[in-house]
Amino acid sequence: MSDIVLNIRNVRKSFTGVQVLHGLNFDLKKGEVLGLIGENGAGKSTLMNIIGGVLPMDSGSMELAGEPYAPRSPLVATEMGIAFIHQELNLFTNLTVAENLFIDCFPKNRVGAIDRKKMRRLSEVCMDRFSLPVTPDTKVRSLPTGIRQMVEISKGLMKNARIMIFDEPTTSLSRREKEDLFKTIDDLKDKGISIIYISHILEDVFRLCDRITVLRDGRIIETKATTEFSESELIKCMVGREMTQVFPSIEKEIQDTVLLDAKNIRCADKVKGVSLSLKAGEIVGLYGLMGAGRTDLAKVLFGVQPMDEGEVTLHSRKHSHLNPEVCIKQDVAFITEDRHHEGLLMTKSIDENLSLVKMSRLSNRIGVVDVKEKEKHNLKAIKDLKIKVSDYRHQLANSLSGGNQQKVVFGKWVMNDPKIFILDEPTRGVDVGAKFEIYSIIIDLAKSGSAVLFISSEIEELIGTCDRILVMKDGRVTGDIPKSEYDREKILQLALLGK
Amino acid sequence: MPILPLLIVSFVLAIFFVPHFFSVYNLKNYLLQSADLLIISCGLTFVVLNGGIDFSVTSILALGSVVGAYIMALSPLAGQPTLSIPIAILAMMSIGVLVGLLNGLSVVKLKMPSFVATLATQLIVLGLAVQFASMVSESSSITGLPEAFFVLGGEGEYFLVPILIAFSIWLISNWLLNRTIFGKRVFAIGVNPKASFISGIPVKKTIIMLMVISGLLAGIASIIATARNQVGMASLGDQMFLTTIASVIVGGTSTSGGFGGVNKTLLGVLFITLLNNTMNLLGVGWYTIMIVLGVLVVVSAMSSYVLNHRKRVS
Repeated sequence: MSDIVLNIRNVRKSFTGVQVLHGLNFDLKKGEVLGLIGENGAGKSTLMNIIGGVLPMDSGSMELAGEPYAPRSPLVATEMGIAFIHQELNLFTNLTVAENLFIDCFPKNRVGAIDRKKMRRLSEVCMDRFSLPVTPDTKVRSLPTGIRQMVEISKGLMKNARIMIFDEPTTSLSRREKEDLFKTIDDLKDKGISIIYISHILEDVFRLCDRITVLRDGRIIETKATTEFSESELIKCMVGREMTQVFPSIEKEIQDTVLLDAKNIRCADKVKGVSLSLKAGEIVGLYGLMGAGRTDLAKVLFGVQPMDEGEVTLHSRKHSHLNPEVCIKQDVAFITEDRHHEGLLMTKSIDENLSLVKMSRLSNRIGVVDVKEKEKHNLKAIKDLKIKVSDYRHQLANSLSGGNQQKVVFGKWVMNDPKIFILDEPTRGVDVGAKFEIYSIIIDLAKSGSAVLFISSEIEELIGTCDRILVMKDGRVTGDIPKSEYDREKILQLALLGK
Repeated sequence: MPILPLLIVSFVLAIFFVPHFFSVYNLKNYLLQSADLLIISCGLTFVVLNGGIDFSVTSILALGSVVGAYIMALSPLAGQPTLSIPIAILAMMSIGVLVGLLNGLSVVKLKMPSFVATLATQLIVLGLAVQFASMVSESSSITGLPEAFFVLGGEGEYFLVPILIAFSIWLISNWLLNRTIFGKRVFAIGVNPKASFISGIPVKKTIIMLMVISGLLAGIASIIATARNQVGMASLGDQMFLTTIASVIVGGTSTSGGFGGVNKTLLGVLFITLLNNTMNLLGVGWYTIMIVLGVLVVVSAMSSYVLNHRKRVS
């Protein structure tokens, strides 16, 4: 037992009534690399945030090197020797490497000012030790991502880290930087440091990890030595999610008219040549793991992000430049994945939120809003979508539950009678009952002749509602699966491996 | 801050304790002082509601004043008031619109924060005003304006004229903000520009438009102020910026955007002018008034923060 560094027993966590972690048991040995894999929403980040002191656990216990461990803050976790290397690095790009290394423990001189000489000297020692190819006075801004990551790792090592958590560390690295990182990780292992490695890239996980743990629906499904796992077995473990959700069944018909046709869309290095088309009455699912470029594609299709190349045909009119105003005029609606920052005016009333899009069609030539007409439409949306409100004129959006908030977002678009819906994670942060209602809304929309692009991280809900499913990986569509061939393993395999 | 009870209490206190306050002459004066402040503060309210700030309003007042006075008193048109007065009025309003447009374009096209953009135009426009005044006149002020123009400043029996102008501008602003799509957009962008953009609101156009409105209203305020003071001066707006911003904030419009309105600003204007007026009567110096205004701004900004915070916690 002495070689177990971290021991987690029966850890549970729930957010606003939704259980995210169902009593996890988990240990980490000294000097091992443990791969942690699972679909989006499997609970990986929550578990890591609990270990890193970002979130408290609801119940359960943790032991760090035999001592009880319950960090109250990230700072405590750092002091206890846990370093968390986030996907988005936590460095201050406007400061120098030395300043970043000592950001929470600047050496001070007698009058309390920063002792720059000492800081530089200590940094140099540290850089030698970890063979960082930079000088202490380099601004982090001017460093490539790979080196920044090494600065972050050195920062952890300076604190005598015993455990390092890597969250998708290779997504923005070049091939060479990746090799360097793997070498560094091997070195860390030799020094007896334990590593938790979270990634969607199975190839890397197989190459790097000693053991692999598969997480699904907040439970640990399997932990085995890497050599005992095959790729297909791993995928099988990941998708074994139970189909507990019931899906509404509504008869509908797909028509031949193509409402949206996108050709060869490119946007920065996120979307690399995607083509897709949506027919009236059709619900097309879009599956992909974190970083596959789904949200970027959605934002390009709605003109929130400019496209570098390609064209979108809406109602048989071609566009190579889009913006939300044009899209709305062409009957497109967009429900963003980020309801709080992009979907709603959280501190404004439901009334104001609902009429936000429809407003321009509710006002006369000089711009006076027809209050009666507005009221009529608002009340209709509240009734049609069954939004639970007490006083829609004064109740603020942030006082609603997640499901009702999302219905308000649907409401503001549906009121405008669009024909093309782009839905990005429309059921995120919504409880089971409200999910069912949202599926009903989506299917109803298709029934009335709208085309829907349904982006989701949950294979189950796509299988339950869509007529076909597109799979994205690395900014490309790697699969287009018709309803008759739905197979969860195949979908996940296309998202993970692209084949 | 509950500004209405505060206004009433202060008003009653002033009646009893401030000598000469409750006289026809002073009350007239009080309302006249409120008139141009209300016009300029209404304009600023639009910008603050949208989450921005406009520092240039008082410099528009200054430039408008000297240019208008020049047209009426010194230019070749000076002898024909029927021609020079309308042209001067038009020129003063155009200056406001142009500066507002410049502010709007710098914010939208050059992506400058309104704080920087309007600070720059404030310096430039005020500099121009002083330069212009010194070029056309030997003293820093331009006098000899036509009698008919003073009607707009509320001279004698016409004292209701500027008050009615200010009141109508306030009514129109209220209507714009609460009844029209433009007003709804101003509030929406003030709360969340990104969600507004995704909802198809023309964010850039709206920002340019409200900067132009702010400039235009400052131009109109410059007409009233010049007529009331019967002189064209670059220093006309010197003490006004502080009272303008104080009126908007003490009135209760949130500096972080999205909450408030010109109805609140009206109360703010009446309160700040009351303070100014009574302290003047009591012989309190401008610098002391400045300190009081500053403290008031901090207190009201703080109280709205505390109140909001409490609401969120409960």
